[in-house]
Amino acid sequence: MPAKKTSKPTSQDTVQQTRLWLMYPPKLIKKPLIWELGHKFKVVTNIRQASVTDEIGIVCLELDGKREAVKAAIKWLTKTGVSVEPVEISVIAS
Amino acid sequence: MSEKHEGFMKALKCRECGREYPLAATHVCEFDFGPLEVAYDYDRIKKSMTKAAIHSRAQSMWRYRELLPVANDPTVGLQVGFTPLVKADRLAKKLGIRELWIKNDTVNYPTLSFKDRVVSVALSRALELGFETVACASTGNLANSVAANAASAGLKAYVFIPSDLEQGKIVNSLVYGANVITIKGHYDEVNRLCAEIAGKFGWAFVNVNMRPYYSEGSKSMAYEIIEQSGWRIPQHTVVPMASGSLLTKIQKGYQEFVKLGLVAEAEYSIHGAQATGCSPISVAQKAGLDFFKPVKPNTIAKSLAIGTPADGFYALRVMKETGGAADDVTDDEIREGIRLLAECEGIFAETAGGVTVGVAKKLIASGKIPANDSAVLCITGNGLKTLDAVVGHVGKTREIKPSLREFEAMLASEEKVNA
Ligand SMILES: Cc1ncc(COP(=O)(O)O)c(C=O)c1O
Ligand SMILES: [Zn+2]
Repeated sequence: MPAKKTSKPTSQDTVQQTRLWLMYPPKLIKKPLIWELGHKFKVVTNIRQASVTDEIGIVCLELDGKREAVKAAIKWLTKTGVSVEPVEISVIAS
Repeated sequence: MSEKHEGFMKALKCRECGREYPLAATHVCEFDFGPLEVAYDYDRIKKSMTKAAIHSRAQSMWRYRELLPVANDPTVGLQVGFTPLVKADRLAKKLGIRELWIKNDTVNYPTLSFKDRVVSVALSRALELGFETVACASTGNLANSVAANAASAGLKAYVFIPSDLEQGKIVNSLVYGANVITIKGHYDEVNRLCAEIAGKFGWAFVNVNMRPYYSEGSKSMAYEIIEQSGWRIPQHTVVPMASGSLLTKIQKGYQEFVKLGLVAEAEYSIHGAQATGCSPISVAQKAGLDFFKPVKPNTIAKSLAIGTPADGFYALRVMKETGGAADDVTDDEIREGIRLLAECEGIFAETAGGVTVGVAKKLIASGKIPANDSAVLCITGNGLKTLDAVVGHVGKTREIKPSLREFEAMLASEEKVNA
């Protein structure tokens, strides 16, 4: 039960597991971005679900790695033009 | 399953693959990351939740407690819900429909929006699971509701908001003693950070790890609509959409009452309403797609400004299954909707209500809601929360000196103009 767990500040060295939804715009659908990601950054990629049409590519991805590596990987994906959401998609409600 | 007493709940179940999980504070399937949803023991509920039993209970959303995800009696938000269902004849005439009803959650208790429904469920369940701190990430209604309901339950509350939010909205959370943390950065960075915080700290994050319980609270609006309509499902229900969750839960609520034999199976449609400045779901619905494309919101309807709606896919499916439609309205049409509802029915709604009225008007005009039918509009939040959206658009005051003659002169000149 997580209720009583006390929180510690994140250490940059701990390996963390991050669950994401990636959305590819049409122009990126054919690019091997996840392969590139695995080579550019020290992260383990694990695809859990994917659906690709002409209009959009949606990939459900687990990223394992040190916090800094994961953060850099997400930044690169975003810069490339992929929209990156946490597994919850939108956490900020109105 | 363990022998633990879980009330009428059976398990958490993945909406994608159907795998079952214990009734803990978790929200995604380990296999396909699908959202988890509460599954119930409907056979037992059927025996316990008769119309007579419901009638004998207090007039709040908790009169349907068997279908709300708490193991024991609720402890937070006992007065929430059972808001008026108002027959809106004057507005019906204006919109050109035979019969129209307003489900008026502008007067929901205690924070004047439908969010009190979801929050009272989330916090009641959080207490059962042993949490002492609750949290949410919100730009408005949800933050207010979490702050207020946590205060009354003696829970510690953390509220995360983007740093560019208007002062008035922050006061509405701070006043209850909540810890309000503003986060500087792009919306998607704030979003990812909040997800990380939710995963890292042992808190009940109402719309993250408590989401399966939280979202069920919206069903109470559907139960009330059925009961207040004389145990009937309305032919048409128009629902505002942000994440799309409320719309899918209205459908779940209607279907549960059918399953329990509390209402006759009937043909009905559920329609979705968005603002044109943030309309990923309505654009997809109109194009006949079963997925949406994310957008950057730009609308006065801040409470509906979710560019990547988590339940968008499921909302599209509900509209398809029930023969419902979606549409969206501009900022001017939203203000007109607010005015129409206020001037015809004396109900002052926030921008989300203007969206719902505006979209209903369009759907009636286009025949997607036939003029001879009957419709219910879900009006989900109070206009006092979004005064800035209508300031300068609602007529002008006239000033006179303290003189009867001057007042009479003013009336006479206005009569001349109006003649
Ligand atoms: C006033 C109001 N109406 C409607 C909604 C729509 O909610 P949902 O995210 O369930 O679609 C919200 C949501 O945040 C809201 O604040
Ligand atoms: Zn699953």
